[in-house]
Amino acid sequence: MNEEPRTTDAAQALADIQRRQQQVIDQATIPGWYWWAVGALMVVLAAGVDLRTPVSLGAAIPVFVVGLLSATAVAVSGQFRQARLRNGLLDATGVAAILGFVALIVGGTLGIAFALRAGGIHYPATLACLAGGIAMGLGGPALMRTLRRIMLGNRAGSPR
Amino acid sequence: MTTARFDELIHPPTRLAIVSLLAASQWADFTFIRDSVTLSDSALSKQLATLEQAGYVEIRKGFVGKRPRTSARLTPAGRTAFEQHVAALQDMVAGAGLKIVPR
Repeated sequence: MNEEPRTTDAAQALADIQRRQQQVIDQATIPGWYWWAVGALMVVLAAGVDLRTPVSLGAAIPVFVVGLLSATAVAVSGQFRQARLRNGLLDATGVAAILGFVALIVGGTLGIAFALRAGGIHYPATLACLAGGIAMGLGGPALMRTLRRIMLGNRAGSPR
Repeated sequence: MTTARFDELIHPPTRLAIVSLLAASQWADFTFIRDSVTLSDSALSKQLATLEQAGYVEIRKGFVGKRPRTSARLTPAGRTAFEQHVAALQDMVAGAGLKIVPR
């Protein structure tokens, strides 16, 4: 007990430290279905706006709000029931990746919507949100993989 | 830069696993730690009590609705001790020219 471990024991301990921290990071990952769900809800909301009737808006807004809140609650419930990630795992690169992803989705969707509208295409918001939703469904998991890689690199025991 | 200091309280495999989980968390639920480390409730309580007595861990007991809920987090002293312990292990491994390949 009073002797320091041999080198192989130290290497084993470091590998175990990394594996345990990976468990915490993996349980906090947002599942792939969440991104598709948010994309679909965007389309529903945009369709409600494009149809321009009180009924369509009255139906689309509650579906969007309730759907988004429910999906988010389910997707992040693991973090609240199990373990909440330490803030330090996500550095400035991670924050930049998240902001870049949001800017790309919002900017791209708005750009497409304005372009379609200027071109006289019907349902520009719906079509733009369809494109944005697909980008979100495909890009969300890619963003998660990037964030996971960053957090794994920032966990204790990673190469200095 | 973190000073390397081997910590014998943290190093035993079970406690090292618990502290490693807590090091990646702001806080972690008792059941999450128990299931991750595959310990019984009593064995985990004992290990957490040891870490708490050393000032490395803070235990929170509360309720979610009517259900009791226990969670744990590393204290600043616990985080420092863990980081120093990791640095000591890294020094030992680097001195021998080994590399860690995460599984």
